[in-house]
Amino acid sequence: MQRSILLFCAVAAAACAKKELTTESTTAAQRGAESVGAEQVPQAALALQLSREHLARAQELYDDGDKDEAKSMLTRAEADAELATALAKADDEKTMANAAMEEVRKVQSSY
Amino acid sequence: MKPIAILTLLSLAACGPKQPPAELIGARNAYANAEAMPVTQQYDPAALHEAKVALDAAEQAFADEGPKDYTTLDLSYVAERKAQIAVAKATVAAEEAKQAAAQKELAAAALAARADADARAEAALKELAAVKRDQRGLVLTLSGSVLFKSNSAELLPEAQNRLQQVAQALNQGEKGAPLVIEGHTDDQGSDTFNKSLSEKRAQAVKDYLVKAGYQSSLIQVSGMGEADPVADNKSPEGRANNRRVEIIVKQPTDEQKQ
Repeated sequence: MQRSILLFCAVAAAACAKKELTTESTTAAQRGAESVGAEQVPQAALALQLSREHLARAQELYDDGDKDEAKSMLTRAEADAELATALAKADDEKTMANAAMEEVRKVQSSY
Repeated sequence: MKPIAILTLLSLAACGPKQPPAELIGARNAYANAEAMPVTQQYDPAALHEAKVALDAAEQAFADEGPKDYTTLDLSYVAERKAQIAVAKATVAAEEAKQAAAQKELAAAALAARADADARAEAALKELAAVKRDQRGLVLTLSGSVLFKSNSAELLPEAQNRLQQVAQALNQGEKGAPLVIEGHTDDQGSDTFNKSLSEKRAQAVKDYLVKAGYQSSLIQVSGMGEADPVADNKSPEGRANNRRVEIIVKQPTDEQKQ
């Protein structure tokens, strides 16, 4: 009986030790930002860099045993990645809108 | 002052109102800025609401945990980001709307330019031939006696000049407009002869227009013979009017416009 309890505790401890910080959502958001060209837009690139830094900090906190604080830090990383995507898309749309309006000006000036 | 009074005053001072951290102040300002922008209210109120929810969570954490707790700081940071995201998303929607408006304006300008070109082409054609519109399209009528020798499909020299001008006028208008060239005769001579002559005359006009640069695949020819008179064949004038070539300008399909 005692041996069974000890065995159970050992397995449980091993299982807990293997648990890692869940970062898939954040890394997916970072990849999303990269795919829309965040690296090429200065403000978006800054947000993406901050996301990476916060993700790294979250991992450090987790490794130090501050699991709750690590998860909280992860929310910063995800918000930064989301902002990087939004800024990259906004820049892209502004460029296209300016090009479209320039075309209109050219047509109007030809009359 | 009695010690107990001093202690009470110190306790009150320690329990005074908490100062919000810089992160929370930043979040409040970012939200106020986002809310004040007409573009966020108009184009992405959902994102703005998400920012408000995030700010409320940060305010709650500040009230419950205090200004220095990591929960307060992280939620405030996220709230500020959410407000900035709301502005960026609304900007995307606003810029898309600008593009749509510009495309609409360009389409209208293209239509106006096309209508203008057509009007100029029609005016030029009216100088060269009788022009009318019927269910077939824009019809240019060229007198047979101006174009051809009698009973022949050979173009007269002056006809070639006129057809050159017709080709130039047609090229001014709608690009890719298909043409139908119909040859017509009076009722003198046999049906067979008149059908054949009218077809050869229509072909002669087509050949000239193609030589002048009009796309051959856009031109159909048809010999109508004496079947479609526009005047009474009993009089010389009537017969002269019936001896004609009609060039019918159709509306091009979208494929032909390209």
